[in-house]
Amino acid sequence: MTLFLTALIAGLAVGSVYGLIALSYTVVFNSTSIFNIAQGDLMMAGVLVSYFCLDRWHLPQILTLLVILGAVVALSLLEERVAVRPFVRKPVTGLGWFIATLAFSLVLETVASIIYGQNPVVPIPGALGSGTITIAGVHVATKFILAFVTMIVVMVALEVFYKRTWLGTAMRGVAEDREVAALRGIDALRISRLAFVIAGVVTALAAFVVAPIVSADVSVGLTYGLKGFIALAAGGFGSLRGCVIGGLILGVAEQMFDLYVSSNYEILAGLIVVLIVLAVRPTGLFGTRAVREV
Amino acid sequence: MNDLTNRLGLDSRAWLRWAVPAVLIIVLYFVPQIGGSGTFRLGEYEEILSFLIIAVALNIAMGYAGQYILGITAVFAAGAYGAILAAKYHPHGVGLLAMCIIGGVVGAVAGMIIGLPGLRVGGFYLALVSLFAALAIPTVAQQWGLVGADTGIPLYAVAGWVQEISGVELYAIVVSLVLLAVLFSWALVHSRVGHRFVALHTSRQLASSIGIRAYRTQLLAILISSAMAGIAGGIYVYSQEFFAPGSSSVQFAVLLLAGMTIGGMGTIAGPLIGSVIILGINQFFTGFQQYNGIIFGILLLVFAVFLPDGLMARITVLNERLGITPRTPSLTSGPAPASAESVPPATAATAKPAAQLPDWTPVLGASDSSPLVVDGARRSFGGVTAVDDIHLTITRGQVHGLIGSNGSGKTTLLNLISRFYSLDAGKIMVGSARLDTQPPHAVARAGIARTFQSPKLMLRATALENVIPAVELRVRCTGAESVLRLPRGIRVNRQARTEAQEILEALGLQHVIHQQAAALPHGTRRLVEMARAIALRPSFILLDEPAAGLSPVELETVTEVCQNLARSGVGVLLIEHNVPMVLSIADTVTCLHQGKRLFQGTPAELRADTTVASVFLGIDEPLEASS
Repeated sequence: MTLFLTALIAGLAVGSVYGLIALSYTVVFNSTSIFNIAQGDLMMAGVLVSYFCLDRWHLPQILTLLVILGAVVALSLLEERVAVRPFVRKPVTGLGWFIATLAFSLVLETVASIIYGQNPVVPIPGALGSGTITIAGVHVATKFILAFVTMIVVMVALEVFYKRTWLGTAMRGVAEDREVAALRGIDALRISRLAFVIAGVVTALAAFVVAPIVSADVSVGLTYGLKGFIALAAGGFGSLRGCVIGGLILGVAEQMFDLYVSSNYEILAGLIVVLIVLAVRPTGLFGTRAVREV
Repeated sequence: MNDLTNRLGLDSRAWLRWAVPAVLIIVLYFVPQIGGSGTFRLGEYEEILSFLIIAVALNIAMGYAGQYILGITAVFAAGAYGAILAAKYHPHGVGLLAMCIIGGVVGAVAGMIIGLPGLRVGGFYLALVSLFAALAIPTVAQQWGLVGADTGIPLYAVAGWVQEISGVELYAIVVSLVLLAVLFSWALVHSRVGHRFVALHTSRQLASSIGIRAYRTQLLAILISSAMAGIAGGIYVYSQEFFAPGSSSVQFAVLLLAGMTIGGMGTIAGPLIGSVIILGINQFFTGFQQYNGIIFGILLLVFAVFLPDGLMARITVLNERLGITPRTPSLTSGPAPASAESVPPATAATAKPAAQLPDWTPVLGASDSSPLVVDGARRSFGGVTAVDDIHLTITRGQVHGLIGSNGSGKTTLLNLISRFYSLDAGKIMVGSARLDTQPPHAVARAGIARTFQSPKLMLRATALENVIPAVELRVRCTGAESVLRLPRGIRVNRQARTEAQEILEALGLQHVIHQQAAALPHGTRRLVEMARAIALRPSFILLDEPAAGLSPVELETVTEVCQNLARSGVGVLLIEHNVPMVLSIADTVTCLHQGKRLFQGTPAELRADTTVASVFLGIDEPLEASS
């Protein structure tokens, strides 16, 4: 039972990170109709920044968070400028934007592996220390709790932003119909930039909370990026709650797979989740909107 | 002799068109003699060659059919593992042929498992699910003892295994297999199967409007592509005698994509050129390999943004400028325009149709002449009822005009009939057959053709190539007969071409038959679309504003075509804002207003009606008096 609970809690924690990445995908998708495949590598960049700040330069946690935020948002804006904006001006036809964001992702990953080089995978200290607290008789690492709480806070904040503020409504409006939005004085380019800033912030937070969990490793970008997509597909496109639920489902499914099947083949859990969801309910648990025809 | 000179193009530069590829092929066979024939070098060549087959495979699914199965390396790995395991356990019985077959079958199965779920949602889902599979297969293989875990399977170390064909001989066979794959992809693309792929790639709605089963076509594209990638896996393990998790990674999938994009997707030569560039750099410039990702990434980005059609588009332009190819772009070459807005000024004047009237007696559809009946159709979007309890009968051999202001529900009604939308209430029937429970392609197959308000054409294809797929729905043969050019396939391919040409000529489009749709002015595009709808030889034809933006001559053509369709026994539904035109040819007119039926009757009754006049003109007297 304890084993089960431990696995469940670890699953919720890792799932929170998938959920955060899924949320940043959604922020971008909701205003640009673009699925930014580089989101995972942006998070990886944040994790490496975290490693340099904490492990090499011994900066305090709060400063590290600020540096990560700055770095990831800057990279997001760079990506928006070179890989996304050329496609926001035109109606989205074909998957040129997909190739462009994948290309950006490739550059990011290569640069990261040149900078980080052949360094071994190093653990990164967590913001709340390495302590544990006890819930229902199970010791839970504080880094896990931080990840979960961060995801919930981000989701609630985004929901409030989209529902209650003019800007949030405008951002959704641009995705619905760019021309009508333009007639209401909403500048699609500005909104696209703003979406990348917000997604950058979400990704930076994900990087900050995930760094102590995954350690410094260049290959996490692609893996987490794709798992973030699975969380999104499971939860349903366009739904913030779906992202959270989908992320948690994937995280827990992986841990259960480790526990009851084999930890060597953990990656199969993701494949099974996505195949089942797409076979049973293609729009995902909370999804309503059909993905546009391309 | 003169004829031969002409055909070979020796009097101009056209001979370069076949001479360049021929020389390249010969050179390809002699690469070992030029670049060194050591076992290691040969192995490297064969590795690149088997990757080229994957590129050809990916090009079929992605470049032609628009199915982004990016993680095709997963399929390649599955095929390779299948083949190498078979060879490991039956070292005496499994040779190159067997490994290709096993690889192909395993690859096809893997492709289906990966492709099926992603297809249900479409778009980039397939890309991401397959990429995830490309990540998962090597990761799982690393841990799996059966496939040699991290160290992989060294076939050369298996007792009893002999590479029966080796050295330069094997190289020549692998080259031949690559050429065979290229030839196959060419034959496929220029067959009815390839036509369906391109139609589907252009627009799912366009495809189903000419009766193409979208889902089945997507599956077929993925199946063919996966089988080829699996065969590439078989060839790879036979020539390399080795396979390990590192042999296929996600990075490899990205490299393939880069090659395709840089060379030009949806062309025969483009992916080959691009892949040779990318894989060549990756294989032979090992000095700065760690920086390759940056170079490839930037190249990929530059091409995706500025040259989405790749190098081949440039080469096509260059060829035309140098007079190597005539300026008649075909199905696959040349840059596609950015959007429909960039329509060039009218270049092709439309001539009047031939004097004798063609016979367009319905071929598809019910044998009796039952009318198409819309019975109480209703459809809401959110709070707006776009179509509200509409009753309408389209009689065979008559023109039914549908008028009404913008937003009155005309196009929605048409989309309901062709099943792009589903009904909230009501029925749509032809005779006793209900249409409103059928998928869109079945509606087309039941003999109901349509055009679109903004024409949906395959812009890179010629006018003729746009009409051919519609004819091919009627003149039947199997896809295999068409691809492999079997006797019936050849005959039917030719027949489709002739019939398509006849219909275009009947619409006065003989000048533009071989012009790229992208180069046609808007009005001409409408006519090409009409030709495509007529090419189905339907029982009913639904025309969505066919006269909008037409020249007076073209307008006259459309009018005559509508009349001739009715005379041939086709039921015509004509949505138009050009009321005088509708009134001049319609037998019955229905007028919609805010989703409701405002009026239904003959043109004469409409002229005498006061409701229509008051709603649209704000006057209390009939149209007749006011005009």
